Amino acid sequence: MVRDPADFLPLHNNWFHILLSLVGADQHGYGIMQEVLERTNGTVRLWPATLYGSLKRLISDGLIEESDERPVAELDDARRRYYRLTGLGRTVLDLECERLQSMVRMMQRKRKQEAY
Amino acid sequence: MNPRASICVAIYRRLASAYPHEFRMLYGEDLDRIGEDAIPEVRRRYGVPGLVRLLADIAIRLPATYFTEVRQDIVYALRKLAQSPGFTAVAVLSLAIGIGMCSVVLSECQSMEGPPPGVRDPATLATFVWTTVSYPYFERYRDQRQVVASATACLGLVPFAVAFHADRGAHAERFYGHLVSPEYFTTLGVTPAAGRFFSPETEKPGMAPVVVISDRFWRKHLGADPLAVGHTLRLNGSMATIVGIGPKDFLGVWPGNPADLFVPVTCAGSRAPELSGDPLHRPDRDIFRVVFRLAAGVKMSTAEAALDAVTRNLDRENGVQHDRDRKGRVVRLMPAGTVMYITPEQSALIDTFDVVLWALVLSLVCANLASLLLARGSQRRREIAIRLSVGASRPRLVRQFLTESVMLSFAGGLAGIVLAYGLADAISSVSVPSPTPMALNCRPDLHVLAITLAIALAAGIVFGLTPALASVRADIGLTLKEGALSPLRGYRRFGLRNLFVVGQMAASLMLLLVTWYVVAGFLHTEGLDPGFETAHLNLISLDPVRDGYTAEATAALLTGLPDELSRVNGVRSAALTDSEPFASLAGVRANTRVSAPSGDRKSGQVLQSAFRERIGASYFATLGSPLLAGREFDRRDQQSDELPAKTGIPAIVNQTAARELFGGEDPIGRPIREGELNYTVVGLTRDVPPGFLTAKTVATVFVPLTTTAFRENPAQRSTILVRGTLGRDTLSAVRRELASLHPDLTVFDVHTMREDLDRMNAFIEWDSAIYVILGLFALLLASIGLGGVTAYAVVRRRKEIGIRMALGASSLQVRGLVLREGTALVVVGSALGLGGGFALWRALAAFSDVLARSFSKPADDALFFIGAPLVLASLAMLACYLPARRATEIDPVSALREE
Repeated sequence: MVRDPADFLPLHNNWFHILLSLVGADQHGYGIMQEVLERTNGTVRLWPATLYGSLKRLISDGLIEESDERPVAELDDARRRYYRLTGLGRTVLDLECERLQSMVRMMQRKRKQEAY
Repeated sequence: MNPRASICVAIYRRLASAYPHEFRMLYGEDLDRIGEDAIPEVRRRYGVPGLVRLLADIAIRLPATYFTEVRQDIVYALRKLAQSPGFTAVAVLSLAIGIGMCSVVLSECQSMEGPPPGVRDPATLATFVWTTVSYPYFERYRDQRQVVASATACLGLVPFAVAFHADRGAHAERFYGHLVSPEYFTTLGVTPAAGRFFSPETEKPGMAPVVVISDRFWRKHLGADPLAVGHTLRLNGSMATIVGIGPKDFLGVWPGNPADLFVPVTCAGSRAPELSGDPLHRPDRDIFRVVFRLAAGVKMSTAEAALDAVTRNLDRENGVQHDRDRKGRVVRLMPAGTVMYITPEQSALIDTFDVVLWALVLSLVCANLASLLLARGSQRRREIAIRLSVGASRPRLVRQFLTESVMLSFAGGLAGIVLAYGLADAISSVSVPSPTPMALNCRPDLHVLAITLAIALAAGIVFGLTPALASVRADIGLTLKEGALSPLRGYRRFGLRNLFVVGQMAASLMLLLVTWYVVAGFLHTEGLDPGFETAHLNLISLDPVRDGYTAEATAALLTGLPDELSRVNGVRSAALTDSEPFASLAGVRANTRVSAPSGDRKSGQVLQSAFRERIGASYFATLGSPLLAGREFDRRDQQSDELPAKTGIPAIVNQTAARELFGGEDPIGRPIREGELNYTVVGLTRDVPPGFLTAKTVATVFVPLTTTAFRENPAQRSTILVRGTLGRDTLSAVRRELASLHPDLTVFDVHTMREDLDRMNAFIEWDSAIYVILGLFALLLASIGLGGVTAYAVVRRRKEIGIRMALGASSLQVRGLVLREGTALVVVGSALGLGGGFALWRALAAFSDVLARSFSKPADDALFFIGAPLVLASLAMLACYLPARRATEIDPVSALREE
């Protein structure tokens, strides 16, 4: 059963960050954790159990999947699993971005009106 | 590594290792590593609070992960149960019916033997078995302070004619209550909801008449008037002030016969005919029932010994001789804190019957559930093996089965509770045909419900889990290779499941026999000939004394009334009696001792226990039951108590009395003695069953209703039988006539004989229906169980059958093969059930007269004893046959290729 991407909106904060960190490159759990921490300047921290709980849900909901592609041998850690976005995950992330942008636009319009 | 970080890593590892097996299989290693990598970094960045935060995160996520799994289990279980709706429906339904019925059976018992509402500490209340005593005796008992904390004497149920308006001639209604000694409420430990109760200080002879009313009476008839205390009611024709209102639900010491009015004996003399003749000071008027509150720490046996000694002293003082029981006691004590006045013997019968029924039904349900679940479990072994081989953990699988069992049991239990409440409501709403009010307030007893529920749930869980536990221990490879067909470890030819089927057969046969037994008893009752013409017979009850008539006025009124009514258009005849014919289920009458005095050839014949009925002139003519010999009473006989004693008062005896007193000889003209009076037998009448459920005729002596009897009114009512004519509304005409001639007379219990019989038939039919349902239910359960097991056997032997058929076995042979096993089980089960049923039947017959009656028709019994197992066996064989036929449809090629 294919779920409607709109069903996932608004996207949970943790899910948003996880999906975002998988854009462009496959990542393993620790990598996702570090990426999110750096990208948000330390304000968002995905604790290990929360992260894996979310990863399990994202996989079962079909937003991400385990990746077979491994990085080059010297960077690869055989014990780690890598994850990547699915088509559905990408669509959901795009929809969430649009949603957030429209909200920002809405707020800006309101500000402008107040300024007059 | 920093020591704090190392501690944190250790705790983290421990928590991570506690994650569910399936989670760990997928993410276990990653979870371990990410924690170990993150901990030094977190410590550097956030210090100890960071480490605490990290551990808190995993500690919170751990139970949440388990919860998710449980949710998945539930969803999976629901899906699995929905996939086999037949199995689910049967299991839930059988659980529901079993739990519902079992709870109600025992709760019904509680509704008679349970503690009365509103009474404090009912366990320390005691009363005499059967014995009623005189007031002077009671006063002496009350003073035995070393064994009795307090005691009260009460009389009742006693009817009262109550008018709500003070003016004379206001319309009165009949209500029931107790005449009580002033210690009544203090002994029972009841506190008033409003006003005051009685006390020896306030209730003295000569005080203004007072009454305490029940909460029910106050709500229903006084509109819950907050100012009701202080109001007056007209009780039996004179005014009494309401001084108190009882607490909610309190309806006297034995609320099975609910009392709404409580009048102190000390100041009721003028208003209650029961208290005429000053019984408070007469040691020979033993009419009071005594309720004792035992002193703290005193055992029933100790109190009984002490009170027995007191009674013997009193007997010596008064020159009275009482019979002694086997233990040499004159009086015997029993608990009084019960809804109904139930003797230990009655209570033993009720308990035994109900507990046996409860145990049978419950074991049947459990056995059925067990065989269903075991068979289903075995069929799912392949599924278990596949799940195990793709990595499911064994505990997870067991949990999965447990979830299914719990859900099944839970659904069944829930439906059972609903059913129990529904059934209890239905039972409570049945009106018991009885001349005095009787309330069967059946509520599902919570303890009983809890125990039944727990047993049924435990059975569901245990038997649901057993196959799972057996399967997860089994060799996966073997199971996968053999499919679902390899034998489970421990399930031999005469294994657990077969044992259940045999037990189920036996239990359902026993249940069927016992329920049939009861139904047969009832059915025989229904076909019972009342012994007289019931068409156009109307009954009207009067109690003029309670309408304020003096004794003389009452006698005059009742003497003339039959003649007055005979003149009403449509009335063929009218007669008086003190007890309605065939009026109640048990038909209890005044018990008396009758003797045929010496001088007769069969001298000294004494009937210790005979019924005495007081009847007026033309009674048998009105009843439509002509005398077999002699004459019946006429108007002159009603003055017979004013004749000199030696002439003898006329009496009529029934056939049983004549046979027992005089053998086969002609009773007419013989002298007999009843109580203190001499009679001469003037007539012989047919035997008529005294009550609906007592077909056994009792020796009965009919004596004339005399003016003395009218005055004393021992039966608390006089009933007029009016024989009407076809097509005329005689009853209305009679009522109109009565209203115009005697406007101040309260007429009650007006009905036709047919209505009486219909009401009793309805009661009996209702009761029978319950037992029939119970019996059918047993039959259904047994057949389902047997069918399930046979079907399972067929599935298990699919391969074998395939090989046999490939080698040329005919479908007849295959069918025989399958049926053989089922037949063996049916035969063994039937034999056991028949034996058990017979034993149970015998035991019940020994207990109950009503039930013994159905036993007394040997032809029916033989028919049934052969018929019941035959019906059951053929149903069981049918249940076996269906899967057997399916076995012959197995295609040998596909059966062999499947593996």
